[in-house]
Amino acid sequence: MLQPELDRLRTEGDVLVRSCGDVCPTSETEQSEVEEGNPFSFSPRLIHLHKDHELFEDGDIQRHMYLQDLYIFAEDDKPSLSVSEFACHISGCTTVFSTLQEYEHHYNSLHRNVCCSCHRSLPTARLLDIHIQEWHDSLFTILAEKQDMYQCLVEGCGQRFRTSKHRKDHLIKIHKYPQDFKFDKIKTDRREKKRQQHKDTDMEVVDDVCVSEGVCEDMCGVLSDQPEQGESMEMHMTDEDTTGMAANIEDPSLAVHGTTSTSTDPLKPRYSYRVPANICFGQASVRGFRGRRGKRK
Amino acid sequence: MWRLNKVRHKAGRHGDSSEQFRSKRREQENALRQARRDRQLVSKRLLLNDDEEHPEVTMETNSAGQDVVSLFLKLQHSGPEKEADLKALSKALRDPSAQLTFIKYGKSMHLLVGLLTGSNAQCRLQAVQCLHELSHSPHATVAPACLPVTPYLLTYLSGQSTRFTELCLYTLGNLCPDSDVVTEKLLAQGIIPALTSCLENQRHNLALVEAVVLKQLPSDLPSLLLSVLTPDPQFGLAPAIECAWCLHYLTSRQSAVDGRVLLCHGALLQCSSLLVSIGGVVADGKKEEGMELLICPLLRCVGNLLSSCPVDDLIAQVDDVRLPAALCALLQAYLHTQPALARETAWVLNNLTAHSIEFCSALLTLNLVPGLIQLLPFSQGINTMVKLRVLANIAHKKKEFCVQLIQLGLLSALCATLKMADPEMVTLSLDVLFMLVTSCPQVAEEFVKQGGLSLIEAIQYNSEGEMRRRAAYLLEHKLLS
Repeated sequence: MLQPELDRLRTEGDVLVRSCGDVCPTSETEQSEVEEGNPFSFSPRLIHLHKDHELFEDGDIQRHMYLQDLYIFAEDDKPSLSVSEFACHISGCTTVFSTLQEYEHHYNSLHRNVCCSCHRSLPTARLLDIHIQEWHDSLFTILAEKQDMYQCLVEGCGQRFRTSKHRKDHLIKIHKYPQDFKFDKIKTDRREKKRQQHKDTDMEVVDDVCVSEGVCEDMCGVLSDQPEQGESMEMHMTDEDTTGMAANIEDPSLAVHGTTSTSTDPLKPRYSYRVPANICFGQASVRGFRGRRGKRK
Repeated sequence: MWRLNKVRHKAGRHGDSSEQFRSKRREQENALRQARRDRQLVSKRLLLNDDEEHPEVTMETNSAGQDVVSLFLKLQHSGPEKEADLKALSKALRDPSAQLTFIKYGKSMHLLVGLLTGSNAQCRLQAVQCLHELSHSPHATVAPACLPVTPYLLTYLSGQSTRFTELCLYTLGNLCPDSDVVTEKLLAQGIIPALTSCLENQRHNLALVEAVVLKQLPSDLPSLLLSVLTPDPQFGLAPAIECAWCLHYLTSRQSAVDGRVLLCHGALLQCSSLLVSIGGVVADGKKEEGMELLICPLLRCVGNLLSSCPVDDLIAQVDDVRLPAALCALLQAYLHTQPALARETAWVLNNLTAHSIEFCSALLTLNLVPGLIQLLPFSQGINTMVKLRVLANIAHKKKEFCVQLIQLGLLSALCATLKMADPEMVTLSLDVLFMLVTSCPQVAEEFVKQGGLSLIEAIQYNSEGEMRRRAAYLLEHKLLS
């Protein structure tokens, strides 16, 4: 079992006691004084065992038996219920779920990391930040004329590039990304034109729903740049804000800030259901508080 | 105290007769042993839902293959039943031959990538489920076909959807070991930063970490790993187990540098403290199901870290004189039920006592030695030599220790071990005997009184030269003079 170590002990010849105070890595040989004819060779030895050592065999086998029976309890696949148990609380998102997990997955995938300007949903907070910088920050555009501003998308790489094309080439060449990586679309003018066609609509009309064709192809029915009455505050869409806003929606008595049109009659308060243009709940959300509930995931 | 949350053995759930199950398990075990000998011991992980059957083929191979084809065609045309089709596909892809069929289509990955990054969250989930099944394939050609998706999986590691990220993690973990080309590609695509940031969100999921560490990818994981090590009531033993195995792979590398880095992070301190708590639990008779799955890698970490630790630092690094007591408790508790574990415990004790007077003294003071001595004659298939080495370590330090050992009955235990068949054991016993008789003149007398002389005389005629020389020396200089 400890054969190799013991063999080494023996072949080192006769050794006397060594005082403690030194570490014996297995490859070191000890200096020794040899007592004449003394055949006894015991010496305390630190034994370092490599992971493939035979001493570890049984433990390894046990480990892998465990791994191969491994499974994790998850929500089982219940048949779709006719009455939904969970519904996405983001106004206008018409999705219902039969399990909490499904709901959470839906929410985490589609309603977080959403760009407030163009309503694109990005997979992570970091990519969202990069997107906002590159697509919606005029300062960025100005700086980009003189400096390398386009960051590499791979976390930890840290390199910057003069144009998005350069960055894309870098991603392909150095990080071995595919040519058509979905999270690195190059901005075109075509999209701007398309957006002009949609109008800001009222709450009753339900068809101005943000339809997503792909992760960055979100066509929200609102032109975000349209100025809102009295609305000037820039909303920074953090996750907390989304949740906070969402909570507020449930209570229609809360006026959405900045756009409450007050009525002269105090007894009949009117609420503005208009959500400020720079608040978006991502894909499949409407710009108002009403929406048809249906089963679409 | 800590439950093995979320992870359970499926033993006996199949509906097989128990004899069938046992023989299947034996086969599985033999296959694993052979794989280990070939240095091919890698287990891919498969995440399942609880109520589903064991992931063996339940349908006919033929029909599974056809299902895959028809589903693939339907999905390509983006029908209204996309989700249901995709789900059916993921089930169909459990069948290895269906997996082969699927990857033959040039567009298959393209389809899955589209669904993986699309706007339908359920489809994303099912798409990654399909990829997960593929990554787990027993066929060598299937998993490599999934490589085009790795940049997406890596990107999603920083996402927030737990189940989805979990699947990405496990899938990447399965793809990771496949080849060096894959490893380089993953490194270039930023697997280490992605993993690090993912770990900060999903601290309990270490499947990919293990793959990374096994693959010897460079990593700055020690401090992150150590923060996961202590079992959390919420997540139970499972993440601590995974973490301890990762640490074991790190500590068992030959490089002395790794050992020192880990020591600086307090790895030895933490692992040994954890062992002490576990030892306490075990000594109270309250061991939880699955605890040995954590004890094993912890022992290995401590054992190997001890071997890199300079003696002067030892007390600071271990910081707990109760460690020997914990180890002895483990030894006693698992001697019969988990002999391999008992053996590894003894190895750790050896490293603890090799160069440290303090710990040798602790063993004596805490009255742990009689237990060790008692265990000596128990071979039971276990090699008891390591235990004897521990006692030898103690004897080696001081004459006073030798005297104490004799008082605790080591001489008569030696009389038993000198009779053992294993020549290693006998040789070591002779070494120990030499140390004992050298420590104090009366010992020789005592030994002769106990009937040891005839044993030594007999050994003089043994075929092993080492034994003969020792026996002769003892007789000449110590026992008969």
